[in-house]
Amino acid sequence: MAKNDVAGERVKQEVFIARLFDAPRGLVWQAWTDPKHFMLWWGPRDYTCPFCEMDLRVGGKYLNCMRSPKGREYWGTGVFREIIPMERLVFTDSFADENGNVVPATYYGMSADFPLEMLVTVTFEDQDGKTKMTLRHTGLPAGPDSEGTHQGWSESFEKLAESLK
Amino acid sequence: MTRKDVFRAIADPNRRAIIGLLANQKLTINAVAEHFSISRPAVSRHIRILKECGLLVVRRQGRERYCEARLDRLSEVAEWVEKSRSVWEQRFDRLDEYLSALQKKEKPHGEK
Repeated sequence: MAKNDVAGERVKQEVFIARLFDAPRGLVWQAWTDPKHFMLWWGPRDYTCPFCEMDLRVGGKYLNCMRSPKGREYWGTGVFREIIPMERLVFTDSFADENGNVVPATYYGMSADFPLEMLVTVTFEDQDGKTKMTLRHTGLPAGPDSEGTHQGWSESFEKLAESLK
Repeated sequence: MTRKDVFRAIADPNRRAIIGLLANQKLTINAVAEHFSISRPAVSRHIRILKECGLLVVRRQGRERYCEARLDRLSEVAEWVEKSRSVWEQRFDRLDEYLSALQKKEKPHGEK
């Protein structure tokens, strides 16, 4: 049915990106986990990263800042959930103010629909002398987990797509 | 629950089932409730949450109140996904350039 197709089309799951970098795995890992390196690439084109702190251990926090060409700052914070050196990095991702307090997306003029907490999973593996990196960025349902759901946003969307069939 | 939180709204299996049920038809609240084994008040609560986050509207027709799904909110989410993807791609372009520059610096003799 056309209407169902439209609904299915709208139910996009998550951001998933796989990239191959012509660099050793250790260096790609370092680029993610060493603030000195991280600050030199974090942010879209023409943005800078004027601040980055990481407490690189499970449960440790990070705080970073992206500055737009017009000088607008976007702060982000989160907690490392999983750290397998050179293999896998999982952390939560939220908007923050410059003091590291979590703020809703509306603080930065974005939709109130934006989840308060997102989850980022990065994996690293060797491939033909290069490094294959994958990124998965998905939302976590906001609010207390009173309904016993620990699943990510993408799983909800997949299940919704299923129910719209 | 945060008002308007679409993500939270669809995290619940009953709410997803309600949206699925209403995707192609409008139904009265009673008719919706008949499809579920959960109590009528529980169904009403789910409908209220879906209504609050804009995934559903309730319209009065004569004596009956009909529920209709509104799937536009889901496309807002999809738009966000596309924007976010673009930001990540740009970051990784920069990461790619940075890694190349770093290796040139480390290996001044041009070996690969």
